[in-house]
Amino acid sequence: MKTSGTAKWQRSLFIASFTIPTLAFFSVFTIYPVIKALYYSLFDWSGMSDHMDFIGLQNFKDMLHDPIVWQALGNDYFLVAGKIVGIMLLATFFAVALTRFGFRLSGFFRSVYFIPNVISVVVIGVLWNFIYNPQIGFLNAFLSLFTKEPVAITWLGFTSHTIWMLLPPSIWAGIGFYMILLIAAIQNVPESLYEAAELEGANQWHQFCHITLPLVWEQMKVSIINIMMTTLNGSFVIVWLMTEGGPDNTTQVMGSYLYQMAFRQYHFGFGAAIGVLILITSLITTVALQRLLHRETIEMS
Amino acid sequence: MVLNKKMAAVGLAAAVAVLPLAGCGSNNKESNAGGSSAPAPSASASASAAPSASASSGGDATAAKLTGDFEIQYFVGGYGDKWWKKVIADFKAANPDLNVIESGGPKINEQNKPRWIGGNPPDFVYIDGAGLNDRQMVEDGQVEDLTEWYKTAKNVDGTLIKDILAQQPQQYDGKIYNIPLVLNSWGIFWDKALFKEKGWTEPTDYDSFIATADKIKADGVTPFIHTGKYPYYIQDAFLFPAIVSANNDDYKILQDMADSKVDAFKSPAVMAGLNKIVELRDKGFIDKASIQINHTDSQMSFLQHKDAFIPNGLWLPNEMSKDIPSGFDFGFIPSVTQKAGGKVVANTSTASVAIASKAKNKEAAKAFLSFIFSEAQASQWAELSGAPSNIKGDISSSNAPNFVKDAAKFLTDPNTVVIPMITFNADVEKVMWDSTDALSIGKITPDEWVKRVTDAAAKVSK
Repeated sequence: MKTSGTAKWQRSLFIASFTIPTLAFFSVFTIYPVIKALYYSLFDWSGMSDHMDFIGLQNFKDMLHDPIVWQALGNDYFLVAGKIVGIMLLATFFAVALTRFGFRLSGFFRSVYFIPNVISVVVIGVLWNFIYNPQIGFLNAFLSLFTKEPVAITWLGFTSHTIWMLLPPSIWAGIGFYMILLIAAIQNVPESLYEAAELEGANQWHQFCHITLPLVWEQMKVSIINIMMTTLNGSFVIVWLMTEGGPDNTTQVMGSYLYQMAFRQYHFGFGAAIGVLILITSLITTVALQRLLHRETIEMS
Repeated sequence: MVLNKKMAAVGLAAAVAVLPLAGCGSNNKESNAGGSSAPAPSASASASAAPSASASSGGDATAAKLTGDFEIQYFVGGYGDKWWKKVIADFKAANPDLNVIESGGPKINEQNKPRWIGGNPPDFVYIDGAGLNDRQMVEDGQVEDLTEWYKTAKNVDGTLIKDILAQQPQQYDGKIYNIPLVLNSWGIFWDKALFKEKGWTEPTDYDSFIATADKIKADGVTPFIHTGKYPYYIQDAFLFPAIVSANNDDYKILQDMADSKVDAFKSPAVMAGLNKIVELRDKGFIDKASIQINHTDSQMSFLQHKDAFIPNGLWLPNEMSKDIPSGFDFGFIPSVTQKAGGKVVANTSTASVAIASKAKNKEAAKAFLSFIFSEAQASQWAELSGAPSNIKGDISSSNAPNFVKDAAKFLTDPNTVVIPMITFNADVEKVMWDSTDALSIGKITPDEWVKRVTDAAAKVSK
């Protein structure tokens, strides 16, 4: 009786020794900042001053009337949609190509496609700035090969919709990771299923639609949700590196506008309110996507 | 199980969403790992440093014996820290009983931020670099009102400081809080060697500028490039001088604009300035690449003779010193927007110094002001920082670089209108930048520019 009590206690201690530090870190580095951000979003504070004015929900009301917030929100969802379509299509294509059509150089291509993931986002931003540069950029130089007059398009300086130009670097930078994720998933599909399909006369397309896709759907779902979350929260980096939200706010996203307002225009409270908006939109979109992407789970046995 | 997954996903989303906020304090564009929370070592709030009451606030600051701690915050940027090290050493030597504490560095604005927020700032602050904005500090009540002090303040040589400043301090509702330390000027640059070779005339006013630009364009070179990513280059070096010239050389209009007075933006002078940008745009003088490039790109283009004129600041030769092709000879004029025979308008660029309103040793801080605004320190500044100091005075005998001497001559010329230090409200300024960019690529008209900016000004002056 006594020994079993000790064993139970030891077991609890063992579990606690793993969970409590994690919980503590999670609280300090995640829960606490969330609450702090919520708190700051209720104040008019420059971010520098030693006094703050409580203004309730005024920051959120101002946000509703700020056209740039709406533009940023629209741009964010444009990037989410564009990246999900672009990355998922290409990553799936490459993953299938490199696994199902086993050819000799597949290992080499796997590494090549993954390289952008190893490069820092800062380098990617600078690199694409050079590609898009109207005077010495690769893109204009390439296009000029086919025209009489040298092409001088300002790829990052359109009067509107400049956000389109940020899609290629974002997609290019994202493909590798999701490709690897899907390759791992496809390799887990038992070979016997494909062999059986082959015997029944199913072509590659049928095999993809009826075997690969259903069996890797969980991974695709995770990929899509992950692309959505990293875009809503991390699109800031590429935007800030390439355009700083300009020209004339056409490439502003919520993250860059948060930075602009909190640290450039000294409205820290308003910046925190944008942070809360990012949190809320991320949560809503996650739940919505979970619903949308829900399918009967297919178990392989 | 499904529910668990959902919760995990939601939790993950929440965690990721909040990460940018978690780093709010230090989320600067430059990496500054842990910078925001690094406490200054000697920042202990020892209130023992009460200033000696015997010191008179007026001129003869050196007469009073300064004691206690005195802390100086200075940002180290393009002007370096050689001068600060030197002047602080000199000040220490002059005041042996004073314990001078230096808080300097390229990240100092971020590092000391928690102390400003916590109401325990350094005594003396040099307002320069990202993260410090003088207008915002005034609005936040963080810097000391120097209006009365400035009226009678003498430097260590016994001269009235206000008499020897090249550009006067900014006035916020008639009050003075910070004193400009650096004198730099915006303007238009070109390459004299190239102009000579091609037979182009160097511009002296707007008519000759346009005539030359026409000729340059006919010769197959783009006349004008600017920095669309940072539109303040074209605003400070082209638009603002144009507005002042159109306002009969009266810079009051810019001060009113900086105070976000709505009517100032509706003035015909503003419209005249904007129309000059439109003229450059419609005549095809502006390099189309301008809108998306940063200052380095535009400056490289200029140095490679792809473009003939560039609006920039006097720091340009220094900044690009490594990339200047041999034979390149900088031509410079503070403004090209004046009428033929009109006065040249020099829009200044500066960095200022101020005393914290919660400083513990204000006497020492004021004495330090008197110490640095002297001719001896001014020529040292020009020599050690590579930029003209804000003290009028002959620096021709000092070891300052030649273009600094030339610029100083330009800026002290009685026929030059020197615009005093001006800091716009950050919200209005951002809208002006966006609108100027939009105007330069033909997205909006000057009327829409005025509409946008007046709306922003009306919002902040509420």
